[in-house]
Amino acid sequence: MPVTIPDVKKTWTNTINRVTLGATKEEGGTRTKRVTVGGATSLPFHHFEGAMPHPSVIAMEVWNVAPQDWPAVLAEHFRDVWHDPGLWAKKCVEQYGADLICLRLAGCDPVGQNRGPQEAAQAVKRLLESVGVPLIVWGTGNDDKDNEIFPAVAEAASGENCLLGTITEDNYKTLVALCTAYKHKLIAESPCDVNIAKQVNILATDMGFKPEDIVMYPTSAALGYGLEYVYSVMERARLAALRGDKMLSQPMICDIGIEVWGVKEARASEQELPEWGEQTERGPLWEATTAYVYLLTGADILVLRHPQAVASVREAIKQLMGDGLK
Amino acid sequence: MPKVTFHPDEVTVEVERSVTLQAAAKAAGVELASICGGDGICGRCRLIIKNGNIDAAPTTLLNRHEVQRGYVLACQTKVLGDVEVEVPPETRAEEGQILIDIDAQRFRALYQEEKVSFRHEPLVQKLYLELTPPSLQDNLGDEQRLYREIRRRREIPIMQTGLKVLQALPKLARQHQWRVTATLGWRGGTVEILQIEGGDLSENNYGIAVDIGTSTVVAHLLDLKTGGMMDAEAMYNSQRAYGEEVTRRILYAERGGLEQLQKTVVNDVNNLITALVARNKIAQHDCWAVLCAGNTTMMHLLLGLGPASIRRDPYVSSSTAPPPVRAAEVGIQINPRGLLYCLPAIGGWVGGDVTAGILATGLYESDTTVMLIDVGTNGEIVIGHKDWMVACSASAGPAFEGSGVKCGMKASRGAIERVQIAADGHLIYKTVGNAKPKGICGSGLIDLVAGLFEAGLVDRSGRLLPEASPRIRTHDGLSEFVVVPAQRTGTGKEIVITQADIENLLRAKAAIYAGALILMKSLALDFDDIDRVFLAGGFGNYLDREKAITIGMIPDLPLEKTRFVGNTSVIGAKLTLLSQEALEKSYEIAKNVTYYDLISFPHYYEEFLAAKFLPHTEIERFPSVQERLNAQGVKALTPSPSPVLTDGRGGLKAG
Repeated sequence: MPVTIPDVKKTWTNTINRVTLGATKEEGGTRTKRVTVGGATSLPFHHFEGAMPHPSVIAMEVWNVAPQDWPAVLAEHFRDVWHDPGLWAKKCVEQYGADLICLRLAGCDPVGQNRGPQEAAQAVKRLLESVGVPLIVWGTGNDDKDNEIFPAVAEAASGENCLLGTITEDNYKTLVALCTAYKHKLIAESPCDVNIAKQVNILATDMGFKPEDIVMYPTSAALGYGLEYVYSVMERARLAALRGDKMLSQPMICDIGIEVWGVKEARASEQELPEWGEQTERGPLWEATTAYVYLLTGADILVLRHPQAVASVREAIKQLMGDGLK
Repeated sequence: MPKVTFHPDEVTVEVERSVTLQAAAKAAGVELASICGGDGICGRCRLIIKNGNIDAAPTTLLNRHEVQRGYVLACQTKVLGDVEVEVPPETRAEEGQILIDIDAQRFRALYQEEKVSFRHEPLVQKLYLELTPPSLQDNLGDEQRLYREIRRRREIPIMQTGLKVLQALPKLARQHQWRVTATLGWRGGTVEILQIEGGDLSENNYGIAVDIGTSTVVAHLLDLKTGGMMDAEAMYNSQRAYGEEVTRRILYAERGGLEQLQKTVVNDVNNLITALVARNKIAQHDCWAVLCAGNTTMMHLLLGLGPASIRRDPYVSSSTAPPPVRAAEVGIQINPRGLLYCLPAIGGWVGGDVTAGILATGLYESDTTVMLIDVGTNGEIVIGHKDWMVACSASAGPAFEGSGVKCGMKASRGAIERVQIAADGHLIYKTVGNAKPKGICGSGLIDLVAGLFEAGLVDRSGRLLPEASPRIRTHDGLSEFVVVPAQRTGTGKEIVITQADIENLLRAKAAIYAGALILMKSLALDFDDIDRVFLAGGFGNYLDREKAITIGMIPDLPLEKTRFVGNTSVIGAKLTLLSQEALEKSYEIAKNVTYYDLISFPHYYEEFLAAKFLPHTEIERFPSVQERLNAQGVKALTPSPSPVLTDGRGGLKAG
């Protein structure tokens, strides 16, 4: 007897905001390439239910200072270029195919080299000269320092339609005002909590900032370090968005490299933990697996470090998009 | 003889050497505040010594800074030579009981409107009896003779008498030609003859209704014979020194502090009683009953019951309905044979104060669905009508009681109870008793936060926006808003609200709203299904419901559906003290309310965080607020002015 399976397809009422990064010459910038994320009308990769017009993209991480604590399996790919953020970015784009570059202003960290606004701005300018892809600029996480350096950064990148971050509940006014004035997009950070994610968006939009110009950063965690909490927060935010919540309809960014390369599963050498297998495979695999999980819950931008992780996540996105890739 | 001069009264008196400053003040006609009457335990009679020779007994009620500045307690300080003292504003005896009298009026108003009426049959009654002297034909024993006469007047099936009373009866009755006054105490199913006196002394029968809150203790003195309300007095619960919140007190009790906590609260109750008795010139031994309403933990601590199991799964209390006991057994100083009653609790986290609230508002006999929100250190929410009632408790913290807030105070004289911030940033306020402001009470804090929000001086997460007003400044790294500058306050110190205060208030209001929302959702109800909302709490005379909605503390229902009903805990306590019927009803209510445990509800914290925003993360839940904000265009909606835009070299640039 034939069995009829009922149609359980879900249709949603709302669309995830489209956010385009980068400005070409015609648009007043110097980018040769623009990147658009968002626009989904269903849960990620549910091509049978709705469209996912813009596949998730990969940003590779570049610092304005040579990293001190990157394990050798990661550092060996960048050691030749990390004295110059421009060369570093160029390598990421040309050799590893990064869709975007994420400049982390680690050199401005007050507990590190504590570089000033002008040096931060120079790094931004250097990157803009070196590559044509759109730029993400991620601050130090120190509120006072970020408020000191971002005015110069935002101005240096004026017209380039960058993604700057992050704003938090406690510190949002300066960066919101800067992004309004210099027409950049904004990363709104929240501590793994769907309510606060929404609240930060409201705080920014209450200042007149357009909700369509925000990308949410719901905090990231490495596999084995609370990933499931972040996963469910992101999933809930996305479900709320598809059901119509305009203040959660922003695309989401995941900052993965920094988390993964801080945990022992990626950092420990095989001399330390021989039973865990080779670090050259294990490290990138941990990063790629973490990224893969976030893809499934709605990550639109993944910030990664290791070239092998980048390659395998790119392949995963391609396969997941399948017929959906137009 | 030494001379004592009081400033700013500029009165000088001559007193004997070694007389206390308190006595000197009395001689000079300078009224000083005092609850303990000179025992050195209430810390109210603070004076500042300008110069002169004194001998001050050490006290823990003054801190080091105060001692350095010359503060002393008047009752603990002896005059040794000529002295000049200053009477600080907070030490002025409060003139009359403005606050409480209005409270009493509201009580009566509520009484009529809600048609809550119980027979006047106080828990302790004094009966003047003219017994028939015994004869050969009527040879009943003295005790049985007494019982017979009582039963002619009252329907009392079971009576009991203590041996001491019985021993005194024969002589007393004969001395007074069989004319005696019997004091009858209602003890559940039986009535105890508490005392026999000769002659007619039935006039002198007083009782005290006490609301023992986590943060405040309020006592009302009642004439049990007439049912009249005589006076009231309130103070902060001295147990606060052992933790602001219930759980902290339980922990302290668990670590061997039970006796200390018990003593502390009994001491507070005794101080209040002493003050009431002294002020109304009645005898302490004519006070026969104390009835307490409070949360379950407060009742445990009052009775010296270990509260440990209340905070542990499955959250059980030693007793939800403790029986009447001899007040002296717990140390309460009324007549040594007088009784102490506790209103029955609903559960470990919903106490007799809520039972009192249900009783006072008449919720238990309502035909339509009613919500009662009792705002205290624990906010309790009850939803129900005559057929069912469900209650929950949400830990709000003491902010609305003016505690844990820098310039917070309870709703007494000089407390800012209403605030309005005009469009031009001008601030208008009103204080209790129209006195010079000393601090801000709960209703003032609600007004203030609502006003700051509507004027665009805080953002939706409650953060002060320094560029929005010159009144906002940074002090010790924390933003604060100056409510009243120092020169206009009654204390000479400025009154501010700090960022941390606002945070505390937001937490408190979020806990209450989240609790109400979850309780309602759990009943598959919607706010539209609620016919009336009773908002209760010790806010003093006034609470602006619209402002409470603006900050998102209570659901956004039409104003005519919401009523502020005052301290229903003490109102309920008074009702039951005056009526056995009401007390019986309270047992019935406590039994019939279903306790819903928020602790076991998985999404409580999430709802709490969603509510910790102005008015709420989901503004759609507050349509009236949304409408008003849209209409007036909150200042926060406009982008920050240019100062944050710099050219990277620190110079300003036009936005």
